Amino acid sequence: MIELQNITKTYYLGEVEMPVLRGINLEIKTGEYMAIMGASGSGKSTLMNIIGCLDRPTAGSYLLEGDDLTTLSDDELAYIRNQQIGFVFQQFNLLPRLTALENVMLPMVYAGIPKPQRQKRAAQVLSQVGLANRLNNRPNQLSGGQQQRVAIARALINQPALVLADEPTGALDTKTAQEVMDLLTALNQQGITIVIVTHEPDVAAQTQQIVHIRDGLILDVYHHSPTLAH
Amino acid sequence: MAVDSLLSNRLRTGLTMLGMIIGIGSVVAITSIGQGVQKSTEKQIQALGTNVMMVMAGASKTQAGISQGIGSSSTLTWEDAEVIAEQVTVAKAVTAYLQKPSVQVIYGDENVSTTIIGTDLNYSEVKNIYPEFGLFFTQADLDSARSVAVLGAKVRDQLFGNRDPVGEVIRIQQKSYQVIGVMEAKGAVGSQDQDDMVYIPLTNMSLQLVGNNALSGTAITGLWLLTDSSEELDTAQFQVTNLLRLRHNIYPPDDDDFNITNQVDIINTFNTVMSTLTLMVSAVAGISLVVGGIGIANIMLVTVVERTKEVGLRKALGATNQTVQSQFLIEAVLVSTVGGSIGIGGGIVLAAAAATAFQIPLIISVQSIVAGFSLSIAVGLAAGVVPAQNAARLDPIVALRSE
Ligand SMILES: Nc1ncnc2c1ncn2[C@@H]1O[C@H](COP(=O)(O)OP(=O)(O)OP(=O)(O)O)[C@@H](O)[C@H]1O
Ligand SMILES: [Mg+2]
Repeated sequence: MIELQNITKTYYLGEVEMPVLRGINLEIKTGEYMAIMGASGSGKSTLMNIIGCLDRPTAGSYLLEGDDLTTLSDDELAYIRNQQIGFVFQQFNLLPRLTALENVMLPMVYAGIPKPQRQKRAAQVLSQVGLANRLNNRPNQLSGGQQQRVAIARALINQPALVLADEPTGALDTKTAQEVMDLLTALNQQGITIVIVTHEPDVAAQTQQIVHIRDGLILDVYHHSPTLAH
Repeated sequence: MAVDSLLSNRLRTGLTMLGMIIGIGSVVAITSIGQGVQKSTEKQIQALGTNVMMVMAGASKTQAGISQGIGSSSTLTWEDAEVIAEQVTVAKAVTAYLQKPSVQVIYGDENVSTTIIGTDLNYSEVKNIYPEFGLFFTQADLDSARSVAVLGAKVRDQLFGNRDPVGEVIRIQQKSYQVIGVMEAKGAVGSQDQDDMVYIPLTNMSLQLVGNNALSGTAITGLWLLTDSSEELDTAQFQVTNLLRLRHNIYPPDDDDFNITNQVDIINTFNTVMSTLTLMVSAVAGISLVVGGIGIANIMLVTVVERTKEVGLRKALGATNQTVQSQFLIEAVLVSTVGGSIGIGGGIVLAAAAATAFQIPLIISVQSIVAGFSLSIAVGLAAGVVPAQNAARLDPIVALRSE
């Protein structure tokens, strides 16, 4: 379980202060399926990066399973990202020179898992996302939807408790976007906590909880049962 | 991982390696060639004996302000040589000689320009060179100043081809000489080619070819002195110097009218020249290594900037600063060691070509290869440190957001 308490983030551009997050209080329970919505520039990605331990808040505390993460070192945060968190990006962010299999293996390299095991598990997860026959393709040989599925496989490879997806469907057409959402929904049903940033109400509607952000503050939190996907 | 990114930029990586290839290549080549030349020269000099000392007429170059040219004045005589042989305790044998370079020697239609050596019977023993065909001249030849000649191997080849010339008559400065022997081939030491000589009795040479210009006795160009071992050369030099000063009435600070060198000196001088040369080429190699290192550092800095987003992603996936730093360090070392290895190969090829061209032995020392390889690693590490630190310091957020 994640607890954000009065998180602020301020950028300093020379003398000018730019408050981006201005006191975020948010609880993400284990197994939650959450969407974060808000206007462009409202601070959604900034918040996601803090949740993902990629960035540190200017003030406030971040508790992960009761432990405060704000005091951890860079290396300790890298370890948490590697072990507990999976990232899915709008632009997929696959390494173009590596095959699907190699891309998926990358987090296991940093986890220090031996190569034969890496290959076996990566192939397994790739077939889980429906890419069993695309293991040795490079990203430029895959469609956008397939690339995003490789990215999801990469996010899952170290069996994280939490998957963060920043506009995962932003670069996809409606049909492939729905396939990706179905995949994320299925993962949530297996117990993985999922937080999605999105602009699309259709996407948000498939989650269980919608958090609206405006100007660095949480406007409201809306619980609902997800509408069934078609 | 590292290999992938290097391969995807083959041309750039290759060009970056050039500095290393040239630097390491020249280090390996020059050490090999240097050692080869040294070996072959030492071998030649050793073949002549390291326990031999040469005394020549004429002022010593180091003592006189301006040298009169070794051998230009006839201040040494055969009698000096005989007294030295008698009184210098460590002298095992002494041979006196007269030398005249660039003399026409004619047989039939063939003619060569060679060096004439007039000497005594000890020459063979002192210089360790013996007749291959026929005989060296005898005491009787010497005593009666007979016109007999022993040919150097090269002179024989030029005048007679492979034939045995013993008994034939050649002409030296219009005078007839009967060939009585041919010396074994010894090869050249520096500019002195023992095979490109004709040996005749000292007495005959003094009378027939050069004329005697000494105040008393028989003028000679110089003498060679043989000791039992090279350790005795210092003693010999001391005794010869004192004896000759006494005989020639020279009192320091007056300049000596003779000049002493020995094979050990020659080897030492040669080694000094060689190591100076090696040092100079090594300096050039060092400079190209520095340039190569700068090239690698430069390309690595560019690479880090180009791959900012990749670094951000890797960090997001759990790479620590340390891991990122090692990755870029490994890439830099890979470029430098692959370049260095190509350089080692190229250096060996170059050394082999030089060995064939200069007819020296090909010596590839393990040390030079190990040194070349270690140097490559060192250059790669030095060149990679700053770029790798830059990469490690990248903020994952900023890196991920960059394009
Ligand atoms: N490194 C930075 N330095 C200064 N300002 C920044 C930096 N990163 C983000 N910002 C600013 O913070 C604000 C919030 O950015 P953020 O990316 O969180 O918005 P967002 O809600 O994700 O928007 P979008 O929907 O367009 O992705 C923006 O105004 C942005 O310009
Ligand atoms: Mg955003």
